[in-house]
Amino acid sequence: MKKTPSTSDTSTPRIPRRSFLRAAAGGGLAVATLPTLVDSFAVQALAGGDPRLHQLLEEQDRVLVLVQMAGGNDGLNTVIPHSDPLYYERRPTIAIAKNKTLRINDTLGWHPAMTGFRSLYDEGQLAIVQGVTYPNPDRSHFRGTDIWLTATDADVFGSTGWVGRYLHTLAPSYPAELPEHPLAVQIGNATSLALLGTGGPMGISFRDPDEFYRLVNGGGGTGQVPGSPESDTPAGREISFMRNIARSADVYANVVKQANDKSGTTSVPFPTTDIGAKLKVVSQLISGGLRSRIYLISWANNNFDTHASQTSTDDATLGVHANLLRELSDAVTSFMQEMKARGHADRVAGMTFSEFGRRVYENGSVGTDHGTAAPLFVFGKQVLGGSVHGANPDLVNLDPIGDLLMQHDYRDVYASVLLQWFGVTTTAAQQLLVRDFSKGAPALFKKATTSVDDAAAERTFVRVGPNPATDFLVVQANVDANADAWLTLSDVRGTQHRTASVETWTGVGRLDLSGLASGTYIVTLHSGRSVTHTTIQIAR
Amino acid sequence: MADLRERSGLLTLEESFHLLRRTTLHPTYARAKALVGLTPAAAVTALLDAPEPPNPSPDWATKTPNIPDFNEAYRLFVELQNWWLGRVLTSASPRERLIMLWHNTFTSDYLNVYVSHWIVGQHQMLRTHAYDYSEMSRRIVGDAAMLRYLNGDQSIKGRANENFAREWFELFSLGVGNYTEPDVLEAARAFTGWRISGLTGTYNRQLADLGQKTILGQTGPWEWQDVIRITLEQPACARFIARKLLRSYVEHDPSIESIEAVAALLRANQYKIRPVLQTLLTSEYFFDPTLRGALIKSPLELVVGLASALNVTSIQRQYVAQVMTRLTQEPFYPPTVEGWKGHHAWITSSTYPQRQRFGESFIDGRQVGSSSKLVDDAGKNLVPDVIAFLKQFPDANDADKIVTNVAGALLAVPITTEQHAALLEIMLAGAQRYEWDINSQAAVQRARFLIQAIVRMPEFQLM
Repeated sequence: MKKTPSTSDTSTPRIPRRSFLRAAAGGGLAVATLPTLVDSFAVQALAGGDPRLHQLLEEQDRVLVLVQMAGGNDGLNTVIPHSDPLYYERRPTIAIAKNKTLRINDTLGWHPAMTGFRSLYDEGQLAIVQGVTYPNPDRSHFRGTDIWLTATDADVFGSTGWVGRYLHTLAPSYPAELPEHPLAVQIGNATSLALLGTGGPMGISFRDPDEFYRLVNGGGGTGQVPGSPESDTPAGREISFMRNIARSADVYANVVKQANDKSGTTSVPFPTTDIGAKLKVVSQLISGGLRSRIYLISWANNNFDTHASQTSTDDATLGVHANLLRELSDAVTSFMQEMKARGHADRVAGMTFSEFGRRVYENGSVGTDHGTAAPLFVFGKQVLGGSVHGANPDLVNLDPIGDLLMQHDYRDVYASVLLQWFGVTTTAAQQLLVRDFSKGAPALFKKATTSVDDAAAERTFVRVGPNPATDFLVVQANVDANADAWLTLSDVRGTQHRTASVETWTGVGRLDLSGLASGTYIVTLHSGRSVTHTTIQIAR
Repeated sequence: MADLRERSGLLTLEESFHLLRRTTLHPTYARAKALVGLTPAAAVTALLDAPEPPNPSPDWATKTPNIPDFNEAYRLFVELQNWWLGRVLTSASPRERLIMLWHNTFTSDYLNVYVSHWIVGQHQMLRTHAYDYSEMSRRIVGDAAMLRYLNGDQSIKGRANENFAREWFELFSLGVGNYTEPDVLEAARAFTGWRISGLTGTYNRQLADLGQKTILGQTGPWEWQDVIRITLEQPACARFIARKLLRSYVEHDPSIESIEAVAALLRANQYKIRPVLQTLLTSEYFFDPTLRGALIKSPLELVVGLASALNVTSIQRQYVAQVMTRLTQEPFYPPTVEGWKGHHAWITSSTYPQRQRFGESFIDGRQVGSSSKLVDDAGKNLVPDVIAFLKQFPDANDADKIVTNVAGALLAVPITTEQHAALLEIMLAGAQRYEWDINSQAAVQRARFLIQAIVRMPEFQLM
């Protein structure tokens, strides 16, 4: 279901990037003046005046929903390594019996409360990344959470969030100039550190769109008092901080309400849980045409901090943790169904995270204490789902404290999101994540392209097949007949395995795949100044 | 380096307000006026040593808990909130604000603790020992609410639960980076052996792990008292508490030098808070004009402060609880064991407009977001008497001066000439300056316009 771009209130300030692109489309700007984050192919597309691209930038931007499982989720009782006898030895009271788990594969099973996640996984819309943490993991909730949100090393105290830094590249003069729609929305009254940029929060937060609108617009009729001049004193800085918050609330309350009103009721029922209600709001804002790139929801307290009574004493499949996992699984399932029903499934993906997993051993209180590595989940129709990235947790080789070892740095997953979902360049991702994590980024998304890339991809890749491939791959592409064009094939770690030229008259190139292992590979088409990626599978 | 030398000179009205805003929940004009002309030392002594009426626990909280179902538990939560709100709405003692600092350090929440009796007990313990960090630390270990909140009551020899030990080091005493993971495991062993019996925690050495442990470099058969002793010996502990005091009383991001200076005071005074505050609150540093308005009011400070300024502290306590909840400070329900983060975390695109709407409605005698009137606990309508509020200032019949004085009483930072002009215009609402007559009927709405315009300003959120 396509929506026509709304002719929204023109008095609101515009996102600078889009102003740039509009101007560029009109032929007014030289390429050199464009912000560096706009890749060359985008400029080319705009120079061609492709009207679809405008729509993509406005309404079809990709969306990421972050779901924070606050408190430290017990990964071992979520994705259960039921074939490992040590799991049962270490957890005599709270372990989930193999025959109660929901099948993932021969050695792993879902917690029985996660029927929704099981279905999503089986339908290929959910991926599991095992063993996610970082070197020298911190077992403090607050440090752990801050580390995940700021995307810094364990010994670095960051003050900006990884999402905030990314959004800042989209709107470099925020909050002086506000984009037409909020860049990020957090459902709840708090503002996450994840959304903080150098100039304050890069998004807005509210519990309920109608309430937000009433609050912002419900003021008395008396006049406004002018602001004091900006001053670099402690009080002056706080005043600027509040003015910026107030201005974003003023500007966005209308847009949010319009989106919420336009969406109407959802097509599928949502659970009446906290997370269910929050994801329902997110779905309505997306359906109603809000163009935010990031939505963030979280449990309000450290709910996953299951030091005691994690499971019921007479049935380990029941209890607090089971209820939390059911809440997550059911809410995400409804959300995915709703996105599908409303035609947004291809541009919406989500990711869960939690500050740490829990100890391998249960404690004496039918619970688990703070641990380290744990699985996280990435979901969406464009996710390379039905896959487990990484090995089953190794319960023998543990760190000196006795906790699980790292398989994936959490920033590897952020790199996947930035590179494959949002399509930022490797250089930009490296800047956003402080170091280069692209080499370890697991292949989590089907099209390793941005929304801008999508348009380019449609124009350049005509046919890529067979997929999955075995011995060879044939690629047909629209390429500039006057420029050189060639293909490269790389694995997801970035190692390049094949190069082949493209016959520019026919646009056909052929890659020999013999000798390559099964797995996900990235095909890159170089044509003149444009670079476009797509992923394929090799299956033997 | 924070200049902790005593501030010379006598307190001005602005300085008196500053002292009251940073120490009490009731920085009213009358109280500020009473401090003007005192030396800082005399003013601080007067504040800290003022007699306080007793604050007995509610009857139900002194009896053995009997909570058959959630309805009863919830009824008691409300009683608990009302009991405390009744106190903070009427007590201008610096102790009330200091208790909030400790409650936000040694957190616990009513849902996890469930038994409100124990929360009352914890609150009374913090009240009694608010000026002695060392004593509070010893008592929090066996505090019934804390034992339940961080699972200390389920931690026995051989089956230590790490929850309390970790938070003890991280959030109650040292802060991240000043202890190791093995310290947490060893301290957890030393904290074993506690149970809850009736209203209090009891220590049973037979359930405690009395074996050798190495904690923060010291090895011995340590028990819970030893962990507290060893922890408080760490320089990091004094720094950690110093930072908390500075954040509460002076500025959100104090320099390392300021922290060290106050940490030295804490060590020199064996963690007694009263002498530390006497020095800090009388210092040149505390009265540095550039630090006025450097803190953001908590919802408690916002709501009680406005109710107190307008002399409507008999306001229905559950309404206060409801507003605080909406502004993300639900009484006795901090979001996590870290407590309320405070400062910038108080202000979001959602809570900031709510703060403005709360203030505007309050001045009209309405509840925020509804047409309901403000009432007291007996259900009687309350309308803030804005004329009485204005009449307490000198020259209330001078429109220019009343704007200056009201802004001076309600805002922690001076207003600019432009802001003064705008406020005057808003108050006069079309009338001429010379037409301003505090005794005329027309003054009521105009006074409301003025105060409402002030509470809408971002400056009003500062203290």
